[in-house]
Amino acid sequence: MLSKAQKTFRPLTLMTVRALHKSALDVVERPAPEETVTSSFGRFIQGVQPYHLTPTVLRRSKRMVLDSLGVSLVGSNTEVFELALQHCQHMYARDDVSSVYGREGTRLSPTLAAFVNGVAAHSMDFDDTWHPATHPSGAVLPALLAISDMMPGNGKPSGLELLVAFNVGIEVQGRLMRFSSEARNIPKRFHPPTVVGTMGSAAASARLLSLDRTQCSHALAIAASLSGAPMANAATQSKPFHIGNAARLGLEAALLASRGLEASPLVLDAVPGVAGFSAFYEDYAPRSLVSPDEEVPRFLLEEQDMGFKRFPAHLGMHWVADAAAKVHETLVGLTGGTVPPHLVQDILLRVPPSKYINRPFPESEHQARHSFQFNACTALLDGEVTVQSFSDAALSRPDLHALLSRVRVEHPADNRANFDCMYAEVEVTLMTGDVLKGRCDTFYGHWRNPLSDDSLRKKFRNNASTVLSPAKVEGLIAVVEDLERLEDCKPLLNQIQ
Amino acid sequence: MLSKSVTGSFGAAICSLRSAHLTDAVVRRTKRMMLDTLGVGLLGTRTQVFNKLLQYSQRYSAQENSRVWGRPGVMLPPQYAAFVNGVAVHSMDFDDTWHPATHPSGAVLPALLALADTLPVRPTGEELLLAFSVGIEVQGRIMRFSKEALDIPKRFHPPAVVGVMGSAAATAKLLGLSPAQCAAALAVAASSAGAPMANAATQTKPLHAGNAARRGLEASQLASLGLEGNKEILDLESGFGIFYGDYSPKELADVSPSGHYSWVLEDQDVAVKRFPAHLGMHWVAEAASAVRRKLLDSNSYLSQVSRITVKVPPSKYVNCPFPGTEHQARHSFQFNCCTALLDGHVSIDSFSSGQMNRSTLKDLLSKVHVEHPQDNHASFDRMYGEVIVETAQGGKYGARCDTFYGHWRKPLSHEDLVKKFQSNASNVLTPEGIEGIVHTIDRLDATEDCTILGSYLQMNKHQTRPLDFSLSELD
Repeated sequence: MLSKAQKTFRPLTLMTVRALHKSALDVVERPAPEETVTSSFGRFIQGVQPYHLTPTVLRRSKRMVLDSLGVSLVGSNTEVFELALQHCQHMYARDDVSSVYGREGTRLSPTLAAFVNGVAAHSMDFDDTWHPATHPSGAVLPALLAISDMMPGNGKPSGLELLVAFNVGIEVQGRLMRFSSEARNIPKRFHPPTVVGTMGSAAASARLLSLDRTQCSHALAIAASLSGAPMANAATQSKPFHIGNAARLGLEAALLASRGLEASPLVLDAVPGVAGFSAFYEDYAPRSLVSPDEEVPRFLLEEQDMGFKRFPAHLGMHWVADAAAKVHETLVGLTGGTVPPHLVQDILLRVPPSKYINRPFPESEHQARHSFQFNACTALLDGEVTVQSFSDAALSRPDLHALLSRVRVEHPADNRANFDCMYAEVEVTLMTGDVLKGRCDTFYGHWRNPLSDDSLRKKFRNNASTVLSPAKVEGLIAVVEDLERLEDCKPLLNQIQ
Repeated sequence: MLSKSVTGSFGAAICSLRSAHLTDAVVRRTKRMMLDTLGVGLLGTRTQVFNKLLQYSQRYSAQENSRVWGRPGVMLPPQYAAFVNGVAVHSMDFDDTWHPATHPSGAVLPALLALADTLPVRPTGEELLLAFSVGIEVQGRIMRFSKEALDIPKRFHPPAVVGVMGSAAATAKLLGLSPAQCAAALAVAASSAGAPMANAATQTKPLHAGNAARRGLEASQLASLGLEGNKEILDLESGFGIFYGDYSPKELADVSPSGHYSWVLEDQDVAVKRFPAHLGMHWVAEAASAVRRKLLDSNSYLSQVSRITVKVPPSKYVNCPFPGTEHQARHSFQFNCCTALLDGHVSIDSFSSGQMNRSTLKDLLSKVHVEHPQDNHASFDRMYGEVIVETAQGGKYGARCDTFYGHWRKPLSHEDLVKKFQSNASNVLTPEGIEGIVHTIDRLDATEDCTILGSYLQMNKHQTRPLDFSLSELD
């Protein structure tokens, strides 16, 4: 058994290999599989066993599955989802394989179903968020459900197999993000779901498709060529497509790998002069995963829980909304019920610096979901932000606009653009001269203060009931609760539309 | 009205450019590029990677399908036809190369022909020429937003970065989208851009061109349905700027209907390859061929060679001392040098497993030393290749190539370009198909229906066999 010290990653260069094998001309150029980060990931994907999932990991991942289903179901009501679905139905013939969320009888080719379902998951920015920052579930679950639908009736995966594949997809994302310190901060260049989400989908899909470890590595490498989209498209209608494409293309990568397509065997490794996955980061230090055969893998989800949103907006909005809600409470105490804008002289927000969520006057629902100012003022007026806060009517409220015009934003030096340590302060100065303050360090739903199971189920019910019958809503809750004991995931597949 | 932004100016230009803006030089050059692209694409339909992708893509069907090159009767949904045909074009690294570096045509032509197959009113040859030129132009312009783009790439593979933008622009043009929609197509396409260099020199590299073609077409289709992205996608550092360390976008000048337009292609021609390998290999092969002649002229033998020095620019992904696969061999200074020393040239066949495994070749490979002189810059516009061979008898023979035949500074003659096409196409098509394409491209601006090309592209001769590079599923 190798000691721990020896198991740490040794960077391997082509020159090293050449020196080792100078005399033998017909030795294969590449390093032995055991020695690369890339192959260690392939080995992990194939080698994880169901009994490696601890009770905590099972519980947390089932919560993620339920939440992801719910936000996707409510997301199937959106315009952007409709657009994606129409596109697929126009461009491709009927292919009754994989179910589309919330649309009874509508099925598409597996990758296309993964695509539109992924779009649904992120359509309202209501889906889960992790640390380092990404939206992990929406890229993975749609691909797995699509594959499950693809498999023959008597060969469907069990609930446990689904959960293992799901956790593989999440774990790979988490591990990849830890290769770079850049990933810890709110992103500026590449939208993380498009960087690690595609890889997670490829990993999870490769697992559910039972690819061998070499194929799993190639799936990741093929997926790397399908990763990466700019932050500038966040806060636009295109953003949901980022998750849709992550799900779709990761699945495609796995399908291509299953047909023998090969790509770089060093894609995750740091090779000087030739960028692989490192292309997406300024600093990059990869580490191999331990072999599941030698050591019980420890899932990141065990140490780092997921954040779930209470309303459909960028995670940063939740701090500001909670802080503003506290001020709202005090205000209505003073005024006896409502918050008349003319009483407010000035609103100061102390938030971390992040250009794409600093929008004084958002013009669309997408922009509003990415606006400190909008979410603060909405919570100030209403005491909370909800799904309805982003409707056209709500966006154009005169009261809201009156407040928006009074907002100033400051970026205190100690308020870093990082979901693990940021805070928000809302300071409202009234015409009377009174100053009301609210501060939020950890909003309810953050991983430090997780939603209770009750709250999570309530969110799910609110979301799912917009498209599903009460029977299916409760049915899904029951099925997910019991997922690891399900012999066959058909009950899950049958109730998502 | 679109705001005055770089992105807006691109949207406006894509929409406003007309055939009248095409100059003779641009028309001549784009026709050459199209012919070359079709030829390498046809040859590429015999590769294993094409077969794999075709098999994968055949799970998809549509009401309106587009033709797969070199496969009579085989149709796919347009995006997948664009995909597999794009893969074919880049499958052997035989397609055109530009400066700043990218392979511009493989991302554009497959998308346009696939789209053309599905349009209710078939586009004319002139419309195809114009859309193609627009797709090339957009790529050229955006590459000039960064100095980094001037050098041989290290992070992102350029066809995956700019190719998808070119495909989006070209297909938006052919679809007749509005300026706002053209800009939206670019924004949506940007979210599909980018692939790491590590996958160059692997079987996945051809997918970079295939996906660029496919996803650019998809971006246009989504834009035509009303999908929007960031209206300033080209303006922002957090937009298209993410792919570059330095990024300074510039607006395109207003396109006046009757005025003159300056195309990038007019100032900067493309390079056309004479054998299927990375462009850098062409310098080294020419130098090595010259050294071989000198060696033989002085009655020396290759078996007397004791040391081979190859002086090339530093570029990790094409520095491969002992390539194991055909893909690696196409990206190996050492391999191409030694092949040219042995045979006097590098050809399609040089990358077959038989040729790759020659003991005489491996013997030479073991004697190669690579040097990176300070004055040899990793840029296709400035690099050179020098080969020096020393013999056990004390002989020393050297040659240097500054500009290989086929480079933009020394373009292939028309005759040689057509010969290359005919040689490639004859692996797949009948003489009628071959001549049909040559003739149609030659008179493209007068062709009523450009989809005639698609018919020729499926006029296969009998008994076409896959190229024997490695075990093929069809054998």
